[in-house]
Amino acid sequence: MPNAPLLDRHFLERLERLALRWQKSFAGLVGGHNRSRFAGGGQEFLDHRGYHQGDDLRAVNWRAYMRLDKMFLKLFQIEPRVPVRLLLDCSKSMAANPEKFDYARRLAASLCYVGLVRHDTFEVIPFADGIQEANICGGGRHRFTPLSNFLEALQPSGDTSFLKVVRRFLNDYPQRGLVIIISDFLDEAGCDKAIQYIADYGNELFLIQLWAPEDRTPPWTGELDLTDAETGAQLHIHVDSDARRAYTEQFDKFAESIKTVALRNDGKYAGIPTDMPLDDAIFGTLIHARGVA
Amino acid sequence: MEFLNLTLGQVLVTFGAVAAFSVALYLLDRTRRRQVVATLRFWVNPGQPAPVSRNRKIQQKTSLLLQLLGMLLLLLAIAEFQFGGGINKRRDHVLILDTSAWMGASVPGRANATLMDLARANAIAWLRAVPPSDRVLVVRADGLATPATAWELDHKKAVRAILESSPGATALNLTQNLEFARAMQRRSGATSGEIVYSGPGRISSREANNMNLPVIPALRVIPVDEPVENSGLRSVGARRSETAPGTWDVLVRVHNYGKTGRSVNVTLNFGKAPQGLHQLNVPPGADQETTFQLRTKAAGIVEVRLYPQDAFALDNYAALEIPEQRTLHVVVYSDNPEAIRPALASDPRVNAEFRTRAQYTPAGFEKGESGLVILDRFHPSTRPPGNTVWIDPPWSASSGDNQPFSIKERTDHPDGLRWIPDLPLTQGLRARNTQLESASIFDSTTVSDRIAEVEKGAVMVARGNTIAIGFNPFSGQMRYELSTPILVGNILHWAAPEVFRDVDVATQSAGSVASPVPATVDRNSVQVLTDSGTLLPFNVHDRSVQFFVGEPARVRVLAASPLGTTTERVFSLTLPEMWDTKWTPPTGIRKGIPALTDSIRRSTILWPWLTLAGLGLLLAEWILYGSQSTSRLHVVKAIHHREAA
Repeated sequence: MPNAPLLDRHFLERLERLALRWQKSFAGLVGGHNRSRFAGGGQEFLDHRGYHQGDDLRAVNWRAYMRLDKMFLKLFQIEPRVPVRLLLDCSKSMAANPEKFDYARRLAASLCYVGLVRHDTFEVIPFADGIQEANICGGGRHRFTPLSNFLEALQPSGDTSFLKVVRRFLNDYPQRGLVIIISDFLDEAGCDKAIQYIADYGNELFLIQLWAPEDRTPPWTGELDLTDAETGAQLHIHVDSDARRAYTEQFDKFAESIKTVALRNDGKYAGIPTDMPLDDAIFGTLIHARGVA
Repeated sequence: MEFLNLTLGQVLVTFGAVAAFSVALYLLDRTRRRQVVATLRFWVNPGQPAPVSRNRKIQQKTSLLLQLLGMLLLLLAIAEFQFGGGINKRRDHVLILDTSAWMGASVPGRANATLMDLARANAIAWLRAVPPSDRVLVVRADGLATPATAWELDHKKAVRAILESSPGATALNLTQNLEFARAMQRRSGATSGEIVYSGPGRISSREANNMNLPVIPALRVIPVDEPVENSGLRSVGARRSETAPGTWDVLVRVHNYGKTGRSVNVTLNFGKAPQGLHQLNVPPGADQETTFQLRTKAAGIVEVRLYPQDAFALDNYAALEIPEQRTLHVVVYSDNPEAIRPALASDPRVNAEFRTRAQYTPAGFEKGESGLVILDRFHPSTRPPGNTVWIDPPWSASSGDNQPFSIKERTDHPDGLRWIPDLPLTQGLRARNTQLESASIFDSTTVSDRIAEVEKGAVMVARGNTIAIGFNPFSGQMRYELSTPILVGNILHWAAPEVFRDVDVATQSAGSVASPVPATVDRNSVQVLTDSGTLLPFNVHDRSVQFFVGEPARVRVLAASPLGTTTERVFSLTLPEMWDTKWTPPTGIRKGIPALTDSIRRSTILWPWLTLAGLGLLLAEWILYGSQSTSRLHVVKAIHHREAA
């Protein structure tokens, strides 16, 4: 059992019961635990067929031959190996509230551990205004420690530019698969089109939007000098209850637009405030969103 | 409204300074706060301008108000704010607890409960309402005002004094107790609190007729309900019968204290033996008297009981000690006893024995017996040893030393008779009432021996236990004169004053007693003694000796006149002093046990609550506003650190 500083042992034990889910089948991919409609050399029995010359003799059902004097070949289910890529937002906006970035790292670590336990192949790709060095892991739970160290070493920096990131991602990772994005999706240029590009290239989307409580319902009132965490732009504003209510409405509209993009492309969406315990987020929100099962 | 630690001005000035400082900090701190946010895109609606900022204006009025209110409450807690104003100063209260004899009466319907128990419970209930910082003086009130405690801040001591109080033997003197309480309050030097009287308010008619209560600004009466039906002995007196020798007249007076008429039986015992039973019907609020004839010469205890028993048992029994009736044994040697017999037979206390001259013997009387020898114109060979009266002794040269006084000459119709004044033997004698036909002139050179004299010399002299009368008061015109019985009476008193002492014993109630004395009494000779010989203080006023007895006791009042006559009165003060009327408290005073809203109760100590409320408000303000400011600061610092890194 790996000793992960981001997640405690008890929590990891609970995560072992889960598995990542995706809906699409990605042709030509083998491995992993998800069921496939292709027969092949797998572990689990699928069907019988008559023997043809050239077939693997190891798959002949010799017990049936002894009884029936005919040779039948056992068919096994192929387990496809789908690439899972996790894009983790490391921009400054994620550090406007330090809990938000920590929360994002712990959530990413949790999903990676779920995948590792199921022998999925994971690629954790930090991004801000561009893709940073990725970490590829797979092969079982014992590979979790290097991944955890990698996540701990991440530091938020830079502005968010989803278009740049997506363009680079599609260029570097042409193989289709499951794309999990953990971010606040706060990009001054907008993120809808960029995310749509990912889906258009045949990837399955799993969008996890994080926000700090004050990101959605700011508690401040009175005279404020607001500074954007990424751009440094300032706004002198008098905040009252009406302004706070209007702000929350705008934020909810934005979150709804992100969700629309995900669902429109047969993907999944989960909005998680950082004051929600991680336990509840994974075993509640993510399961409810059918991202894990 | 009051501040114990600060004045109102100090509170206002301090709060003003604190409020000004807080507002200044508030304006400085919250003019424009910087805040780093994840994005600005949601703060501005598309197509709408950003809200206009306003400077130098209080934005979070609720926060400022909470802060100011919290600080004001803390300041009031420091100043120890209290409601009630001046009444919250330390006050000195006087609790007058009725301990008169009547408080021992049983309460009908409540087993073993007396009026004293009710008064004690009321007093303790009142004491619980007194703020702990007030001092209390407990006064036990009966005929006298007796402080049971000093000015006590420790109310437990006052409660202990209340519980230790018990009914006395005297009636309530309310005026005196209230004056005492008021005087103690004036001398205490602190703010005067309440003067509380706890009791039924039963006072004597003497006080009710002359009631002049002092002006008391805060008088509280806690009445005790007392529907008690009682009748009792008011007084028992005994004196020698003037008609029957060896008989006492015992006068019993019964009073009905209830509201309905009562039929009672009065029994009299002497020496444990029943002597009589009288039935009396006593109307409500009235007295009834009855007289018993008790024939005895012996000393003993007269017991008077009243039946049936009622709620107040102390006044159903009285004991009276009567003295022995003594007599004076007079032996008269005379050949003409009929002339003297009437003078001696008029007084039953005189036991006269008439003998002839031939029967003379110088033997004395029995030991302890009072005696007197009268020698009527007779000159015995041997002089008698005791008190002797020589009436017109014949002169005889051969008598020699047997002559009590030498006779100088014999004269007829002497002129200028004069009784020597201020002598016991001449008390009441007047010269004009005396007509001497003939008299012997004694050769007396000592002025002090003379009782009566004429121009030629003394006609009546006395020396030691011998009196010589130079004339015969029982012959001639003198036997019809007023002087003769007076002279005989004076001689009998001189011979045995204790026999003729005016004895009047009475059982009365304890408390203030007034004993009448003759107008001629020598004030310096008056003594008031208890059985144990203790001298009681007294006052001679208006022909009476006044003294006070707080406990049941037998008291003797001795008084002597300048002429030597001694008067003794014995008071058996075994009855409790009872009330005559019920005092009606004046209107407008406080009554009953203080209610929760009564002014005597000091308002609750507020400073702990003020402190909690102030801290609560500040905490609420911090939770609502301050804690978020702190988190914001953390955010800003985190951002700056990362940027610096």
